[in-house]
Amino acid sequence: MKSSYLRASAALACAVLLTACGGDDGQLLLGGQISGVTKPGMILTNNGGSDYEVPVPSNGTGVSTFFFPTLISSDDKYDVQVKSKPTNVDQCTLFQNTGRAGFDVTTIQIACTFKTQALTGTVSNLKNELVLVNGSNRVTVPAGATTFAMARVAQDAPYGVSILANPAGQSCTIANGVGTMGAADVNNVTVTCAP
Amino acid sequence: MKSSLIRPALALALAASLAACGGSDKAEFTVAGSVTGIVYDGLVLSNAGVPLKVAPPTTAGSPVRFAFPDKLEYGDTYAVTVTGNPAHQSCEPSVPDGGIYTNNSDTAGRLVTIDVAIACRINTFAIGGTITGLTGAGLVLANGSTGGTYTAATPATPPSTTPITYALPVVAFGTTYGVTVSKQPAGQVCTVVNPTGTMGDAAVTNINVTCVAA
Repeated sequence: MKSSYLRASAALACAVLLTACGGDDGQLLLGGQISGVTKPGMILTNNGGSDYEVPVPSNGTGVSTFFFPTLISSDDKYDVQVKSKPTNVDQCTLFQNTGRAGFDVTTIQIACTFKTQALTGTVSNLKNELVLVNGSNRVTVPAGATTFAMARVAQDAPYGVSILANPAGQSCTIANGVGTMGAADVNNVTVTCAP
Repeated sequence: MKSSLIRPALALALAASLAACGGSDKAEFTVAGSVTGIVYDGLVLSNAGVPLKVAPPTTAGSPVRFAFPDKLEYGDTYAVTVTGNPAHQSCEPSVPDGGIYTNNSDTAGRLVTIDVAIACRINTFAIGGTITGLTGAGLVLANGSTGGTYTAATPATPPSTTPITYALPVVAFGTTYGVTVSKQPAGQVCTVVNPTGTMGDAAVTNINVTCVAA
């Protein structure tokens, strides 16, 4: 009787020890920060394993904290890669994406840049200097110019070209100045100045 | 002749080595550091009531070194504070590279050198105004492509006659803004007055939107 208790507890102790020594406990987080996620389709993998799609943050910034749903174990090697990207993402750069887990891994950084498209247009009858803005992007259009180019705009971002300063003695209006950037360049913004 | 030269040389060497052993020399510490992000004139730092003006760098974007004229002895305390901000900027003690905490106040001698980190940023202000006459759902205002958007809540039925006050994300001093109607509300056309400008030193609240039936 006594010896069977001993045996059982010895076996239990053995099992506990083995687990503690790095069996498959899986209790550490694996994740970090990602930017550039404004659409579904950002799929990450760890060690080439199962797909994990990063949820799109609701605030529209595209910046989010992510964690793989599968926990990893102490001393596990990890190698996080971007398997596929949303259609509006150009490229992703990964930092601290490989290593061996000691504690929760929260330091992976994935920085993705968006594909951009040109935003250009035409001006007619411009006799003096005109200043156009698309938000913080300021473009001075010289007298006599017939075309202008704003800074490139990320796909799926809104744009709104407006007049910061009319040319001296003239007043200009803009057609097709507002929209959301698609997958093609926008070149039909039209500025007409009078008289 | 030869021995008379050797003697003073020996005495000198002895004196030098004694001094090196810490005889009358007391360690002195200069309260120094660097400021990052400074663009405009007017920054004044203070330590123990002594002000020190710090000018912007000659090369835009590079950090500026500063050092207070008075030296501290081992064990003296220092506390560098910002007592005057540059025009259009706000500065405050920051966490140095590789550090965890701000290091603007401490005791001299705890570290070999004193290297206080101060960071300045350009002031930012909100842009916004009121929306009048909105009855349709789906109005979205945008400040260009990178300045953020404002999505109006769906109006109640019947719509309130009180104008809605809105604000778009903040804009830094000296940066332009241009607010446009990115998406018109259902059945209405909205127009914006005072849509463009260059940010000054106060929030902009006159970018008013008026909506009428299409």
